[in-house]
Amino acid sequence: MTVLILTAKDDVTADLVVTKLHDAAVPVMRLDPADLPAQTVLSAHYTQGDFEGLLSANGHVVSMGGLRSVWVRRPGEPAAHADEPSAWLTAETRQALFGMLYSASARWMNHPCDADRARLKPWQLRTAHLSGFAVPPTVITTLPRLARQFAEEYGEVVVKSASGPPPGEPSLALPTTLIGPDSDFSAVAAGPALLQRYIPKRADIRLTCVGSRLFAARKTAEPDQVDGRYGDTGHTWEPVPVPDRIRKSVLDYVDMARLAYAAFDFAEDEDGFWWFLECNQSGQFGFLELQTGQPVSEAVARWLSRPARS
Amino acid sequence: MRPFTLNYAFPRSIPTVVTPYRFDESLQLNVLPDGRPAISDPDLLLAVGTTASTAGSKTHFDD
Repeated sequence: MTVLILTAKDDVTADLVVTKLHDAAVPVMRLDPADLPAQTVLSAHYTQGDFEGLLSANGHVVSMGGLRSVWVRRPGEPAAHADEPSAWLTAETRQALFGMLYSASARWMNHPCDADRARLKPWQLRTAHLSGFAVPPTVITTLPRLARQFAEEYGEVVVKSASGPPPGEPSLALPTTLIGPDSDFSAVAAGPALLQRYIPKRADIRLTCVGSRLFAARKTAEPDQVDGRYGDTGHTWEPVPVPDRIRKSVLDYVDMARLAYAAFDFAEDEDGFWWFLECNQSGQFGFLELQTGQPVSEAVARWLSRPARS
Repeated sequence: MRPFTLNYAFPRSIPTVVTPYRFDESLQLNVLPDGRPAISDPDLLLAVGTTASTAGSKTHFDD
């Protein structure tokens, strides 16, 4: 039974897991959907109620009947590397590949349908609240008046993108930014704006959840540092224990979200209290493992190695 | 009108990262010029930043 990893070739973080699977003698096939159909063969047969399918790439072959699990890491757009790529070819290839994979009985980390929902920041906030996390008050609105009122109520708020920086050239950075109530909010009418009460923090917390295994790491923040991803503070990530209250909320969250893997970001305030900021369903973990020694890749490999659903 | 959130965006020059490893089809791993797996050199991986939480932001929306 084979583990299928959907990711780009240069995804060196996936190498950490591939190595663990090799060590455990678990068959693994690594595939970038961008390489379909140029460097990968796909064939699925639906006849008389039966289903069979196979993928072949790099000299490795996996049949859908022999598929143990699928790890969706950093896949490229289907058919992006084709000789004559097009939006239509991508759509057709996505239909063929994911239609076939969804037809198998493999376990997913994470299922793309669940991943799509889990990426929605407003949905994350609601799910976090229902899971018992402390969530900073937040508004997402196209009404400038409401945005101003929100900022006036909380004094200092942060503005953040729900989907990340806009793609394309020139490359833009869009860090979470602290603003005050005296800002000009008129442009809120031009696109939904997400504003959140500012939590002064003394550290960033990244908690990685793999199945039911939790790995938390802490990095001291500089005074007034708002976005932990930007700016070199000179501090490094260090492992920290997971408080019982947080553990329960994390497990409730991933259960509600149907996620096998999730990376949570928290702000640790001056009292040591952890505030939920977001949950990234495919967050990076390589840098944490390399800095803290936490065995995240081993946990991922172990989860992927478990038998497929019957 | 420019959306409010984009008022806080700024150009970012992404340094051209030349990854000192290449994908080996048979091993299904990235390997260094001397044939060792790239992950055998964690200091190098941290230096090139390809495992960092902002690395994904350049090419992928999951970070």
